Amino acid sequence: MARYLTRRVVMLVGIVFVISVGAFYLIHLLPGDPAVVILGTGDSPQNRAILFKELGLNKPIWDQYFIWMRNVVHGNLGTSFISQTSVAGTIRAALPIDLELIVLSQILAFATAIPAAMRSARKPDGPLDRVLGATSFTLLSIPPFIIIVLLVLLVAIKLQIPHTGPSSYVSLTSDWLGNLESLALPAFTLAIASFVVYYRVLRSDLIATLQEEFITLARSKGLSSRRIMWRHAFRPSSVALLGTAGVNIGGLLASGFVVQYLLAIPGLGYTLIAAIAQSDYLLVQGIVLVVSVGVIVINFLFDFIINLVDPRISRE
Amino acid sequence: MSERLLEVRDLATTFATAGGPLPAVGGVSFDLDQNETLGIVGESGSGKTVLSRTIMGLQPRTNVTVSGSARLNGFEVVGASEEAKRSIWGTEVAMVFQDPMTSLNPVMRIGKQIDEVLRVRLGMDKVAAKARAIELLELVGIPSPVERYRAYPGQLSGGMRQRVVIATALACSPKLLMADEPTTGLDVTIQAQILNLLDRLKSQMQMSVILVTHDLGVVATRTSRIIVMYAGRIVETGSTRDVFQHHRMPYTRALLESSPKVANRSHTRLQAIPGRPPNLMKLTAGCAFAPRCAYATERCHRERPELTVTESPGHAYACWNPLPTTRGVS
Repeated sequence: MARYLTRRVVMLVGIVFVISVGAFYLIHLLPGDPAVVILGTGDSPQNRAILFKELGLNKPIWDQYFIWMRNVVHGNLGTSFISQTSVAGTIRAALPIDLELIVLSQILAFATAIPAAMRSARKPDGPLDRVLGATSFTLLSIPPFIIIVLLVLLVAIKLQIPHTGPSSYVSLTSDWLGNLESLALPAFTLAIASFVVYYRVLRSDLIATLQEEFITLARSKGLSSRRIMWRHAFRPSSVALLGTAGVNIGGLLASGFVVQYLLAIPGLGYTLIAAIAQSDYLLVQGIVLVVSVGVIVINFLFDFIINLVDPRISRE
Repeated sequence: MSERLLEVRDLATTFATAGGPLPAVGGVSFDLDQNETLGIVGESGSGKTVLSRTIMGLQPRTNVTVSGSARLNGFEVVGASEEAKRSIWGTEVAMVFQDPMTSLNPVMRIGKQIDEVLRVRLGMDKVAAKARAIELLELVGIPSPVERYRAYPGQLSGGMRQRVVIATALACSPKLLMADEPTTGLDVTIQAQILNLLDRLKSQMQMSVILVTHDLGVVATRTSRIIVMYAGRIVETGSTRDVFQHHRMPYTRALLESSPKVANRSHTRLQAIPGRPPNLMKLTAGCAFAPRCAYATERCHRERPELTVTESPGHAYACWNPLPTTRGVS
């Protein structure tokens, strides 16, 4: 276990390094001269040259990278030359919204997908399994941006539930209930997409596990079906589920971005899209870096949980 | 003298398959006394595993029909609900499975797999269950049971795993232990150890044992009675001595001749039974063994022989053209 973990951590550091190089280089790939962006097109070439030197842009690119990296490690992602505010500060304000959305949607998705998959697996091809299968396929075929629009139409406009419509985000610190209301629809939308994936993955694994000999042995011990399902079938069946969840949460950030944009919820997604529109390169770079590292860390965490769940994986 | 533990009458198990009904067990009757060891032998596909599971009521929950009767210590297994059967599983009857590589939960510590039975079925608390589980591990001959308690099945050898399976089966001191090919997946040297262990535990814990196997060598010295199965039916049954020395059914002889013995001269050809076990979905009205039988007559193909009793108590065979009796001939 310890060896396995060390190896994974070394890999993690390597991947984060590659991402940081990518995020750094992203800015260099962009067309245009940063000095022109900052000073505007009207300024003199001399002033531009001075600024160029002040920004350190005359140094070799590796030096530039290490200077930038040192700052990043100290939590300094630079100051946006569009809004003149700290990039790290902007991200720090927006990130909790994304985290809250993910946590809410995942709680919803797991809390529904696990029992649904268990019911289905108990009687594959039974009436309940068929209904759930058809429902999940239908939901799978509707993209989140359609679901959110339909939900807003129904809940916010028809039912007039407060804080659920577009541009009605309430921060957690000002009113937690209002905050929950304002995030309910996007969280629900994201949960639907996750539910479908989790339900299908867990259902098929459970069906396979329930045919194993050790399940028959558990039955022959006189254990209840409920106990067999939770204690014997669920754990060995949850490896693929956890792996999928790790990848899915990364993908969820992207769907989250679309939903945030549609409802004007000021999370990272909304901020990123606004930053792109304003050519706020430093902010884009910062968000890309934070999101990428976040996705990697989440996957690492899920890998770690998988190891706890199934000891066969780290034991070679 | 000894009390009856199990009464099986006309027990039949039929699976509903895509190709039609498959009669895996067709009308089996026998009795088992307390502290008795019964051997059920037959080739692969003869229905012995299905029979042993049906007796316990452990057949799959869907696509299967069971008829007849199996009374275990007064409890009618056939037709009983899963919930009712749970009350006898573990405490009245327990099973040792064929393949210890697949019959233990790979992601649960072995100690927990034994604990669980004690806690759920006997209502023991955590501490007592753990102590008892370690005792059981010791009983089945697992070295350093305290450390092994925390091991996962993957960390143990096949023989050790089978010992754990046995310990699990014994946890609630069942009256009947079903051992379904308990040594098939193991090395030959380990096989003897496991069989000797079962023997010792049987007398220690006052159990009856049903030993299901395809290996006549396994049952020869360990059972008092043997049932020979073919195509889901009993074709010969009797005391172990009668079946080995005075068998009348040609299939029994073929089975005996096909099992390798150490006494065989080297480089002699092992006698195989010609042909293959029949397709259970295409059974004819006649004797199922007839197509492979050297003594088969026209009647054998037309009419199925019922069990005929012999002069020796408990010895019966199902054959129209039995082998000549060897009794009294020495």
